[in-house]
Amino acid sequence: MANIAKKVSWSSRAEESGVAGERTPLFNGSEQPRLSRQLSGGGSVFQIGRLSTVDLEEEITSDEDSQRGRPKEIPHNEKLLSLKYESLDYDNIENQLFLEEERRMSYMGFRCLEISRWVVCGLIGFLTGLIACFIDIAVEELAGIKYQVVKQNIEKFTEVGGLSISLILWAVLNSSIVMLGAIIVAFFEPIAAGSGIPQIKCYLNGVKIPRVVRLKTLVVKVCGVICSVVGGLAVGKEGPMIHSGAVVAAGVSQGRSTSLKRDFKIFEYFRRDTEKRDFVSAGAAAGVSAAFGAPVGGVLFALEEGASFWNQMLTWRIFFASMISTFTLNFFLSIYHKNPGDLSNPGLINFGRFESDVRNSHCVFFQLYVVCGLLGALFNLLNYWLTIFRIRYVHRPCLQVMEAMLVAAVTATVSFTMIYFSNDCQPLGPEHTEEYPLQLFCADGEYNSMATAFFNTPERSVRSLFHNQPGTYNPLTLGLFTLTYFFLACWTYGLAVSAGVFIPSLLIGAAWGRLFGILLASITSSGSIWADPGKYALIGAAAQLGGIVRMTLSLTVIMVEATGNVTYGLPIMLVLMTAKIVGDYFVEGLYDIHIKLQSVPFLHLEAPATSHWLTAREVMGSPVTCLNRIEKVGTIVDILSNTSTNHNGFPVVVQPAKLCGLILRSQLIVLLKHKVFVELARSRLTQRKLQLKDFRDAYPRFPPIQSIHVSQDERECMMDLTEFMNATPYTVPQETSLPRVFKLFRALGLRHLVVVDDENRVVGLVTRKDLARYHLGKHGLEELQVAQT
Amino acid sequence: MSLYKNSPFLVLLVLSTYALASSVGVNLTASDSADRLSLSPAAPAVVVDSPVFKPGVDSLFSLNLLSSFPEDLEISDYCSDLLHIFGQRYVAYVNCLVTAARPVKVCQNCFSTYGSLMNIYNNISSDEMGPGNVSCRDSLLRSDHLMLVYLLYSNMEDIWTKSSCVNCITKGFQSLTNDTLYFISTLNQTLTCFEKYQQGNHTELCKDCKNAYRDLNELYSRMETNLTMCIDIEDSMNMTRRLWSKNFNCSFPREETVPVIAVSSFMLFLPIIFYLSSFLHSEQKKRKLIHPKRAKSYTTLMNIQDKLS
Repeated sequence: MANIAKKVSWSSRAEESGVAGERTPLFNGSEQPRLSRQLSGGGSVFQIGRLSTVDLEEEITSDEDSQRGRPKEIPHNEKLLSLKYESLDYDNIENQLFLEEERRMSYMGFRCLEISRWVVCGLIGFLTGLIACFIDIAVEELAGIKYQVVKQNIEKFTEVGGLSISLILWAVLNSSIVMLGAIIVAFFEPIAAGSGIPQIKCYLNGVKIPRVVRLKTLVVKVCGVICSVVGGLAVGKEGPMIHSGAVVAAGVSQGRSTSLKRDFKIFEYFRRDTEKRDFVSAGAAAGVSAAFGAPVGGVLFALEEGASFWNQMLTWRIFFASMISTFTLNFFLSIYHKNPGDLSNPGLINFGRFESDVRNSHCVFFQLYVVCGLLGALFNLLNYWLTIFRIRYVHRPCLQVMEAMLVAAVTATVSFTMIYFSNDCQPLGPEHTEEYPLQLFCADGEYNSMATAFFNTPERSVRSLFHNQPGTYNPLTLGLFTLTYFFLACWTYGLAVSAGVFIPSLLIGAAWGRLFGILLASITSSGSIWADPGKYALIGAAAQLGGIVRMTLSLTVIMVEATGNVTYGLPIMLVLMTAKIVGDYFVEGLYDIHIKLQSVPFLHLEAPATSHWLTAREVMGSPVTCLNRIEKVGTIVDILSNTSTNHNGFPVVVQPAKLCGLILRSQLIVLLKHKVFVELARSRLTQRKLQLKDFRDAYPRFPPIQSIHVSQDERECMMDLTEFMNATPYTVPQETSLPRVFKLFRALGLRHLVVVDDENRVVGLVTRKDLARYHLGKHGLEELQVAQT
Repeated sequence: MSLYKNSPFLVLLVLSTYALASSVGVNLTASDSADRLSLSPAAPAVVVDSPVFKPGVDSLFSLNLLSSFPEDLEISDYCSDLLHIFGQRYVAYVNCLVTAARPVKVCQNCFSTYGSLMNIYNNISSDEMGPGNVSCRDSLLRSDHLMLVYLLYSNMEDIWTKSSCVNCITKGFQSLTNDTLYFISTLNQTLTCFEKYQQGNHTELCKDCKNAYRDLNELYSRMETNLTMCIDIEDSMNMTRRLWSKNFNCSFPREETVPVIAVSSFMLFLPIIFYLSSFLHSEQKKRKLIHPKRAKSYTTLMNIQDKLS
């Protein structure tokens, strides 16, 4: 072995490639990876690809060869899988340490675990509710100040002239607030951008999105959402609540914060992906429940969006978290409104109460729903193109901040122009339901009706569309509002600010639903039957939201719970169904589009249809880097520090290549860190035995291999993996069809699935990316390409 | 077979039912006629329940309603006097309200009548015993489920609270508050100003009465925030505003359309520049493709399609 003599310094890349260059020829021509390691590396990843393929297959055409030889770069598109995403370890690692710990644990210990799960869920609900409360109060206060300032300015300049100055003031105020939000997102935590629902969906699906559940993300998310709502963007604060809830859950359940370097020494049992995932789904549910005041909707959301793994006890616990969360929010908001005990604010958005009179037979207006689906699809399509453009060209943080500022300025400008040229004046209501009435050129005692829609936080606009008296808006105002808001919302989603899409969609839908109601009343002129345009607004809002996000069950329940009236269940359900069917005909839901554009290896519910002819042999990655049961430290370090392959799971074999276990990179790193070498154990008899606790302490941020120093002498030592490897990994034979592999993988939440031949020899390894790359496109089965992002 | 056997019994049963029904019908009609005489709504129920005692009950009712109830059930003279006064004051108040309906002057004109009405009602509803140890509260207010006196009064009370006259009237219904009087005087100044220029050019009016109108407006908004407002003030302000804005057309004109359009088109132009420049100058983000290790090389996209077709 050539590299033994070399001095070991694992951080340098140049040296590594040198090593690889010396080594690779040794393996050229060897048929099987039976030598248990396929070390490859080099300056260019593509050479490795070629070399290792050449190892196995002689009949590669020259054409393909030359194609692979040069680094191929393509513009970003949706048909890619990113290398940076890895799987979570949902499957329990049943090694000897685990069994030992379980044996030591008493009956009481298990009961305590069960109780602490409930405690954690209660805490999650409580904290999520508090965060929601904080966001709500902060937005209300800050937006109040902003609108007061702008209003006073407008009033002043209406009298003396110079309204263009007010326009500039408004635009500058908006964009400076949004700048603040965009800077913290773009420069400090880009993962906090957007609503966070796609990310949580991926997490619950089993994809490890880097940094998605960190404390820093939570802080950035909360501050970002406050900034973007106060900054007057066409966004809501509901979507980010779900992400916040998930982060809270991931943090609380671990009993420590790695960012703050505080370990409370509690809940140590929960420090692994399996347990954490359960809590994260509870956190997401608590977030939904706090956002909409819909505890059941929250549970169903967690079920619908993250239903990869589920059981009844978990449902019950999640429901508990949801209930606590909405109650906490309600309670603290009632104190804030100086009315303690009046629990009338169960969610961030409050639809207000609707009468249960649903005589207007909604089912007649089928075409209405179809239009909703179409509008939703159009929204998604436009946003899809915009997002691709953004990924390709607007990828630098400073550009992203500038873009967000521009959007904020344009939003203010468009709103101002709309208000300025609107002739729609309405008399002030007796109770002053309008929070910031703008008079402008209206007669004294009247206010500009366009201003109630634009000069307001989006939530209030939604509520006024639902509940204001018939005749509050004239059709022209509503039409213009819908049109501009549609494009503004579409333009805004996907900016580098943290903001949700729920409220804008509701607002668009409510506006044109109300418009539809008014027009219908004027056409039929029989008056009373079509009396309440607010109901049309509600149905329109549901339809638009359904057309954009394409959720079904959970959205129905959320809407029903938010309106507080079960009688609206059927119309809302029919609307959502139609919107989904019509929308799916054209384009996917917004969240799925964004998941795709992020190149996430997302596993859907089923394997793509017409894929039964594919077998594990074609799907799997091969050759596999294997380890011997008693392996030399140097070899392990070499394999781990190979940056080009970056494997995470290694089948452990006994000669000749028979599978006897599976070990993960994270475990190997912990072993190296603690120097669990055979020779050392022999010399130091008193050495403490490694426990499961040591693995948990390192979770979830295992140090990179570069930070672990292994001396030259230690490289010659041997490591016994028997105790630590998962001795019974799942395996499939080579001829298993893709849907079968898929089902096993998805149902058990696996990370690695070993493919063996009939003599239990390792021939390949199926990972998430191998399965996720097949999808059913317009021209039959298509394969996604793996790319570095 | 069984039907034949039973049929005589069935016939009997039907006959007897019929007889019973007809007799009930007769009773009902009889009671109806009695009803018309006695005007007692309770009669039919009584009759249906106990047809046997019908004649006796009937005669008793008609007799009793013509005469009066026994002494202890009757209201005392004192109470009926109170009721009488209540009625008079009620009528006075309602009369006042109707005349003050448009333009609204219900607080200014009718506060004293309301005060006296409230006074007498308080007397009626008080716990104190009147002469002869009788409390009129129970006999006048709570004897029946209609509770007419209470209902009448509560309607008036609703009108009073809805018009929030309390804010404009001093305690004890003595007079209007100073704030209100001041407002009325300011309002009058403005209105005289309006009258002065009404015939001439409205632009002159807008200019010369502006100060008076603005003072009035400011006073009004102050009162609005202080919650010292009643419907009279609100309505008069509304009328003045309408005069000012609609009749005399003194609202602010939309004059600076050009600068607003200029500024907003500049703002709208910015994103176009931004996107164009980032499209042209920012380098496109490329993704490096990586070819994962596979057992077979034919699993590329092209080959899948070949295999499918």
